[in-house]
Amino acid sequence: MELYEKSAHELSEMLKNKKCSAVELTESVFKRISDVEEKVDAYLTICKDTALEEAKKVDEKLSIGEKLHPLAGIPIGIKDNISTKGIKTTCASKMLGEYVPPFDASVMNKIKSADMVITGKLNMDEFAMGSSTENSYFKTTKNPYDLSRIPGGSSGGSAAAVAAGEAVVSLGSDTGGSIRQPAAYCGVVGLKPTYGSVSRYGLVAFASSLDQIGPIGRNVTDVAMLQSVICGHDKMDATSKNIEYPDFTKSLSSNVKGLKIGIPKEYFGKGIDSSVKTSVMNAVKELENNGAVVKEISLPSTDYAINAYYILSSAEASSNLARFDGVKYGYRTENYNGLVDMYEKTRSEGFGDEVKRRIMLGTFVLSSGYYDAYYKKAKLLQKKISDEFNGAFSDVDIIATPTTPSAAFKIGENIGDPLKMYATDICTVTINIAGLPAVSLPCGKDNGMPVGMQFIANKFNEQTLLNAAFGYEQIVGGFNSVAAIK
Amino acid sequence: MNIDIKHVAKLARLRIEDEKLSKFENDMQAIVNMVENLPEIKEELVLDKDNAMVLRHDTAEIRKFTRDELLKNAPHIQAGCLVVPKTVE
Repeated sequence: MELYEKSAHELSEMLKNKKCSAVELTESVFKRISDVEEKVDAYLTICKDTALEEAKKVDEKLSIGEKLHPLAGIPIGIKDNISTKGIKTTCASKMLGEYVPPFDASVMNKIKSADMVITGKLNMDEFAMGSSTENSYFKTTKNPYDLSRIPGGSSGGSAAAVAAGEAVVSLGSDTGGSIRQPAAYCGVVGLKPTYGSVSRYGLVAFASSLDQIGPIGRNVTDVAMLQSVICGHDKMDATSKNIEYPDFTKSLSSNVKGLKIGIPKEYFGKGIDSSVKTSVMNAVKELENNGAVVKEISLPSTDYAINAYYILSSAEASSNLARFDGVKYGYRTENYNGLVDMYEKTRSEGFGDEVKRRIMLGTFVLSSGYYDAYYKKAKLLQKKISDEFNGAFSDVDIIATPTTPSAAFKIGENIGDPLKMYATDICTVTINIAGLPAVSLPCGKDNGMPVGMQFIANKFNEQTLLNAAFGYEQIVGGFNSVAAIK
Repeated sequence: MNIDIKHVAKLARLRIEDEKLSKFENDMQAIVNMVENLPEIKEELVLDKDNAMVLRHDTAEIRKFTRDELLKNAPHIQAGCLVVPKTVE
């Protein structure tokens, strides 16, 4: 087994016990990148030279016996909407095509403090709007399990890189499923943390009340380790919750005996492939055989969730993306006649079609005369959805659902029809609306393509969530496999 | 609900090319038709006090960035200033 194929927790032990060096590990990952990146297209920026320097520093620290963080020396890829000082952060948009942040996002400060090795910046749908990476201005990432299929999105590069062995772990961001949906399609583990548990400072804003940065890895332990690094209060983010955050790895337990699992019938209805339902229910059955208690529940407002999601997220996006005006940073059109002409041309040339649709939807629902009919109704529904989840969690510990209605679709299959594309988020958007944590984990294959199962827990109950996921992982004998790129 | 794409685009400081206009209109109309299906909830919006934002004290901090660092990403600068078209007639 090559070093790039191993899990972060195994590699952490190997580095500590001098079974390999951080430079050897980093070189192994970059060898893999040079072998398969041409086919997968996960990266927008590759940082080989700086990564090797960072790895060398870790080896130096290890050689003098310095006690390092368990993830020191582990190669990590970063979604390209997370600000990285001195490294281009494009959001896969022409608008920020040449933008180099003068500062690091708070999560990057934490990643750097842990001495992790940054491999580069990963492809995504433009400004995180999309479900396939086909909205990237630069390129479409391919699914490592079938290069003719999408990897999911918007964090498609983050999921594909980890699945392909082009990074050991990665960071993504999730506004309506953008970590969990690509994790499901690429057969990896992706966690969308509780809103407020990971600082958004330095994450380029899409919908500020829904956005959350989270970890992707090939197994639950790696995800727990990375989540323990990035969570925590940050005064730079006014929505960051000031509570104690445990080390999720230390208390990771695979005991599912007595774990109460809710199965919401609304997530298993029409529109969900029967093969996906079967995979998820088989996985739940395995948990039941190991002592978990399964109970059918109902979350009746789920049917309206996608509508509320597109209203709320687009309303916030229209406001957040107003900053891209060609004045202080980013793209500016070449020829213009006056200020308004400069704004309009800059924004029309700098944004792709999906971003324009969302900005216009948001502008429309917030415009005079329409606020009550759209935004206010969606906000009221948001509270109802949260209340329904609260009610459910008085009865169950976690809720299990499919992550996506089907396995990964073909490149080009849905790109011409926004509504079909939006429908792929049907199982994930409610969680952002309610601000809950949720994890997607592999639970089977459909014609060779990975199928994902989603576990949802109550706010700040990441430990319960990760324990349940770890329990399932142990039952099936571990995940952690790198896709063979054909 | 019919949506006036040209008006909304103007509010959003966007322009849709003529050849894309009809597809945009159809797509946007379909999206609006989808999202407008929401239940009537007879409640009033109230602030969520449990999740209120905690703002920093309004105190000056030592400058983290130099002027040059911040201007590096600007599309057009002259003599250390951002250049913009005339804004006041």
